[in-house]
Amino acid sequence: MSDTVQERAAVPVRRSDPVSATLADVRAAIGADVIWCPDLTAPVTGVVAADLMSDVLVDARPGNVLVTGLANVQTIRTAVIADLAAVVFARGKAVPPAVLELAREAKVPVFMSQRSLFEAAGRLYATLAGRPAEGGEGRHT
Amino acid sequence: MTDAEFVRAYEVVGSDFTNAGRASTSIKETLKNMGLASPLIRRVAIAAYEAEMNMVMYARRGTMTLHVTPADVTIDVRDEGPGIPDIPRAMQEGFSTATPEMREMGFGAGMGLPNIKRNTDGLVITSEVNRGTHLVLQVHVS
Repeated sequence: MSDTVQERAAVPVRRSDPVSATLADVRAAIGADVIWCPDLTAPVTGVVAADLMSDVLVDARPGNVLVTGLANVQTIRTAVIADLAAVVFARGKAVPPAVLELAREAKVPVFMSQRSLFEAAGRLYATLAGRPAEGGEGRHT
Repeated sequence: MTDAEFVRAYEVVGSDFTNAGRASTSIKETLKNMGLASPLIRRVAIAAYEAEMNMVMYARRGTMTLHVTPADVTIDVRDEGPGIPDIPRAMQEGFSTATPEMREMGFGAGMGLPNIKRNTDGLVITSEVNRGTHLVLQVHVS
């Protein structure tokens, strides 16, 4: 137990900072299906992964992609409120019609990945960590 | 934006999870149409959304009234509901009385009031048990 605590303490917890990437990069990194996306060249500033929308509202930065297993209308509304770039539903979650309808109406791009939340987030971290935004340090949560 | 105060009220219905967040989305859209700065709009929208979700989760009904002046954006949030018996405790991150249904919606983790405070320049909470809760949250424009 103490090892785990020490391990965690050794890794600084930092917020997701700007990276230079697009929705096409995100899609490619996790092999996601495009459910609705009018522009794959739209910029992405980073990634936030959570099932708890309360945490997203605290941790996400504008332009982040949200990776989540929570497929309901609150996910899309959270994306709108927090100025997120897109939502990726992990674990092959079926997107209910009402959620897709709201996403289109609110112009929130939606992707679906068969990968687990852990694996999707890990692959995105690995892909985007080496792509700091111009003039930025490029950090991730 | 003129010097005149802009006022608009939004009704919120308790337990209506389908429409939860609509009022805050409208508020955000309204502020965007006024040409206010994006970071400011985002702070107001997050605070409004947390307040709206609290009403949907806990209250029977409520009203959010948006006031915009050249100096401030203020949202007056008033609900009819159970009230908050211990406000200092409710302000602690992680303290929650949420039900499993609320958590399934991705909320109810005890982050709402602290996150409202984090995103506002002023927050006043008054509450009467079994009557309701009144929040006034304010963000400075400049």
